[in-house]
Amino acid sequence: MLKTRLNLAVLSVFLAASVVSAATPASQKNAPTAPDLSGFAAKDMPYDKGEAVLLTWPSGPADVPGAVYQVYAASGKDWVKVEEFPAGTKLAADVELPFWAWDRHAALHVVQLDLPGFFNDFKIGNEYRFKVKYVNGKVTAESSELPAAPKPNLFNLARLNNLLLLIVTTIVFFWTVSHAKRKGGLFIRRIAGLDAIDEAVGRATEMGRPIFYSTGIGAMSGVPTIASTSILAEVAKKVAAHDTQLKVPHFDPIVMTVSKEIVKQAYAEVNRLDSYRDDINFFVSQDQFSYAASVDGMIHREKPAACFFIGHFMAESLLLAEVGATTGAIQIAGTEQESQLPFFFTSCDYTLIGEELYAAGAYLSKEPMLQSTLKVQDFGKAFVMVSIVAGSALLLAGTWFKLDTLVTVVKHLFKAY
Amino acid sequence: MSETMFIVGGWVAAGLTIFLFSFLYKDNPFFKAAEHLYLGAGMGWVFQTVLFQTWIPKVWEPLTKQGDWTVLIPTVLGLTLVTQFFPKISWLSRYGFTFIMGYGSGLVIPLTISTDLLKQIGGTMAPFMVSEVTRGNILSLVNGAIIAVGFICVLFYFFFSVEHKGAIKKASNIGIYFLMLYFGAAFGNTVMGRFSLLYGRFDDLYKYSGSNYFYATHVILGVMVLYFIVDHFRTRKPAAEEEAA
Repeated sequence: MLKTRLNLAVLSVFLAASVVSAATPASQKNAPTAPDLSGFAAKDMPYDKGEAVLLTWPSGPADVPGAVYQVYAASGKDWVKVEEFPAGTKLAADVELPFWAWDRHAALHVVQLDLPGFFNDFKIGNEYRFKVKYVNGKVTAESSELPAAPKPNLFNLARLNNLLLLIVTTIVFFWTVSHAKRKGGLFIRRIAGLDAIDEAVGRATEMGRPIFYSTGIGAMSGVPTIASTSILAEVAKKVAAHDTQLKVPHFDPIVMTVSKEIVKQAYAEVNRLDSYRDDINFFVSQDQFSYAASVDGMIHREKPAACFFIGHFMAESLLLAEVGATTGAIQIAGTEQESQLPFFFTSCDYTLIGEELYAAGAYLSKEPMLQSTLKVQDFGKAFVMVSIVAGSALLLAGTWFKLDTLVTVVKHLFKAY
Repeated sequence: MSETMFIVGGWVAAGLTIFLFSFLYKDNPFFKAAEHLYLGAGMGWVFQTVLFQTWIPKVWEPLTKQGDWTVLIPTVLGLTLVTQFFPKISWLSRYGFTFIMGYGSGLVIPLTISTDLLKQIGGTMAPFMVSEVTRGNILSLVNGAIIAVGFICVLFYFFFSVEHKGAIKKASNIGIYFLMLYFGAAFGNTVMGRFSLLYGRFDDLYKYSGSNYFYATHVILGVMVLYFIVDHFRTRKPAAEEEAA
């Protein structure tokens, strides 16, 4: 019995020894290793306005589940933890930059830090210090401290596609201008709303009532306002020729000043400067609903024969057009704001939809230069159509046949950065 | 704020709301008063906004506290616009306007290429990025195809330099249907939004009709109805005069 117990004890000791001896090399083999952070780099974030820095370091076998990277930044003595993320994330492929501006295949961890979010006293050009720390249980590693100063960049390489499109558009524009000059004008399809201007001015002349023209609530730098002033010029010419009354209430003083010049020029072009009055254009208010209430009151009291609402309009569109409709005026409206167009449709006789508004200047003046801009727009639309058909087919094919490079190229080419 | 101020505020709010709504019946002195008050208050608000949010923090403080003289450049350019009031030097305003137009164009052109071209194309193509056609994504693909077809047809409608006949006319007509569908949806959506604003005003009128506001809504409404009745009889022409006219 004793011998049997002794044999069992010896066997147990041997078993335990064999388990320990077998386990030791395996545990040594799986022990977490610290990454080599000597490749840590901190530099100004390229293609930005100067508020971010770019931190990079190599990714590697130490990026195991459970491990994290901590990023620290300092402007003075004190370090601030600005980022902490799992070791397998924030790689070069995750950076939102196109393939021509960024190497997505680099084996790097990449952190873009927007510094104003961390430092209240942030100033462009100031130098900040950065370091990164690896933590996986008891295993830690820390990089050296590196300085970097964010600065604004003159050229944003990510927007190269934007620039190329602009260059192509400019070339097409000059080509169409020369083409239009050679041919002496281009064909433009009929736009009912613009043909009705003559009818509206004629009606006002017959009735002896004024014409109201609102350029909307947009600023002078807005494209709809610019388009509206070009229509105003044509309306003013017809008004001057017929010796009708024109009233142009304004929301923006700058638009008013520009409109004054335009209307005066229009009167001069038809040799009716004697009929021009400085108060044709007048300022009402730069508050949206005050403007609407006041113009509504004027329309209601003066009962104009025609109302033009052409330009950038927001919630005041229905307020203005509805009152105009109740007075029985012929109404022509146009805006690029698609949310306001339904209101103009319901309360106006003619409505210019978005692009038709931009075509108005060329349509009314018949100038080859302006007509060629319409041709450029049409080329742009054709480009969009072809791009959608071809791009969709390529994307479908690329994802179907697992052609990642093709998908990336198509995606990046048509992405706005 | 004292209780009296709350009551006065309630009377003013209820009064101005009813005055403005009275325009639905006809133009009247109450509406005119509210209209001009609104206009004045609106301009006052804009003036103080420009003064306290633009002029002081962006011109006065950089000049006086930071000694940043570069702000004088945009300030002078802005002031040239005021020269419009003085005919002899009004030509100076052209510098300001030129800058505004140039700055605006420079800002808008790249933005337009980015939003009107690239984002539209990218967004329309995005649904076609599928690894395989499954039951789960077939509807999304069909949806994407409808959007792409609609988009292209709408663009056909906006072709100005090509005569709309034959295939282009057909595509353009389909585009009009897509546009009308969108406008209908947008109309319904906005009208619902406007109704919520109307409910807000009615809710306030109901609140101010309580005894704690001394029945402001009822009293103002009653006075206005009385005015309209008196005004109706006062301005009504005698029948004989009407016939003669």
